[in-house]
Amino acid sequence: MRPERKPRILRLPANFSNAVQKSDTGRGQPWLYRFSLLVTVATLFLILAGGLVTSHEAGLAVPDWPQSYGQWMPPMVGNVFWEHSHRMIAGTVGILTLILAFWVQWRETRRGVRRLAWVALGAVILQALLGGLTVLLLLPAPVSIFHACLAQTFFCLLIALTYFLSGTAPIVFEDTAALKSLQRFAGMTTGFVYLQLILGATVRHTGHAVTPHIIVAFLVLLHILFLVLKVSHVCPSTSRMPKVGASLGMMVLVQFFLGIGSFVFTRMLESNYAPRMGEVIFTAAHQTFGAMILGTTFFIVLRAYHHE
Amino acid sequence: MKRMTYLSIAILLNLILAQSAWAGTVSGAVKFTGTAPESTAINMDADPTCLVAHADPVYADDVVVNGNGTLKNVFVYVKSGLEGQTFPPAAGTVTMDQNGCQYNPHVFGVQLGQDVEIMNSDPTLHNVHSMSKQSKEFNLGMPIQGMKIKRKFDKPEVMVRFKCDVHPWMGAYAGVLTHPFFSVSNDTGSFELKDLPAGTYEIEAWHEKYGTQTQSITVDAAGTQTTDFTFAG
Repeated sequence: MRPERKPRILRLPANFSNAVQKSDTGRGQPWLYRFSLLVTVATLFLILAGGLVTSHEAGLAVPDWPQSYGQWMPPMVGNVFWEHSHRMIAGTVGILTLILAFWVQWRETRRGVRRLAWVALGAVILQALLGGLTVLLLLPAPVSIFHACLAQTFFCLLIALTYFLSGTAPIVFEDTAALKSLQRFAGMTTGFVYLQLILGATVRHTGHAVTPHIIVAFLVLLHILFLVLKVSHVCPSTSRMPKVGASLGMMVLVQFFLGIGSFVFTRMLESNYAPRMGEVIFTAAHQTFGAMILGTTFFIVLRAYHHE
Repeated sequence: MKRMTYLSIAILLNLILAQSAWAGTVSGAVKFTGTAPESTAINMDADPTCLVAHADPVYADDVVVNGNGTLKNVFVYVKSGLEGQTFPPAAGTVTMDQNGCQYNPHVFGVQLGQDVEIMNSDPTLHNVHSMSKQSKEFNLGMPIQGMKIKRKFDKPEVMVRFKCDVHPWMGAYAGVLTHPFFSVSNDTGSFELKDLPAGTYEIEAWHEKYGTQTQSITVDAAGTQTTDFTFAG
């Protein structure tokens, strides 16, 4: 009897290692890899900038789009500074992604990687349109939440693209059963982190779902701590993955306290005429750390499936 | 013929005078008890134009306790008792000005279909964001000094919040009603609802921080009823 096959979308290439390492792109095109890394880091910065817009309640400080008060460069006063800065950083990331996509088409031979570059470009274009819609439709919650989640998804796409362009050698695992367990657990953890991000975006843009967000936070905390243990146990130290795991563990502990701080400032203190500096710092940092945790767990998934 | 004309005029005059003679007034004060909250000085550093517009510190206007122990900016209106009656929109325009990076007035009333004229008297940009839940929400850029925009509300709502997303300390509230019987407590805490037809009404006082209070009041023809509201801090 033939074994049951997973749906195509869930199947990684049978020889994933070969698919990643077939081309010498990473080693032969170090500047392409470095440029992809630059775009990825710029995207994290963009996520922070977006978080600062929401934390300052500046989402509608510029009522028109794509221009700002009928100009490409308005006076950067008040909350216009945060909103328009976010647009400028987003425009820069968009242009960088466009360059990256074409550069990959020019120099990369692996079809999957070339397609991934186009998908990333499509995602950033869609993200720009969503950003415009949030302004023109006066911040409808579903659009704002989708805008927030797509940002995180785009970030993961860039992490994957950068990884495939890096030419990183696959990990040699000796215990196949432990490896499969790591793959499943890392995938599950990434899924929970993404769910937590969706809940976090819902809290930010509707004020609801605070209780589910807190409950899932404990679940994610436990999952990540177990994942850190698994990574240190299963991955050889030469792969540097135990250090990645340790960093992830530190990040999630920091994130937990950022979440407590965000809760105190937004739910327990009496509201002020404008968001307090503490509220801005805690909520924007909490959102950004969420992106970093998602990116790191996703990276662990990539490494777990890239093996010999 | 002349006699008929004079008679008609006399009857008309009598009707007009009699109608105002049948209208009453409800007046009073909104008192405040307890400790007034400490006023928060607004930090306007985010926009230098706003900073230089004020020689002295500017304080948040969500709670303004007058020197005589009364509360300012309380919206007092007839909540019920006018059912079945219709009133044409007032002829004039209600003006809300953005001056010194503050809304003036902070609280006001407007009738359905009446024009609200929003002005920008500041040499800086503002956006006027009306957060109405019943009428269509709007968010308009006003980047030029002297710029004016007119808007009308088509559904009653107590209260519609206005904010400027550029300058987060700026906020105002509008009570949108089907009738003209509303007032906002002033620097002495007093309010007045004029020309009310005789009858029994539910009067409500609304404050943005301290909530609402209602009272039932009966208005006599051509009489003045006095009633006070008291909010506790």
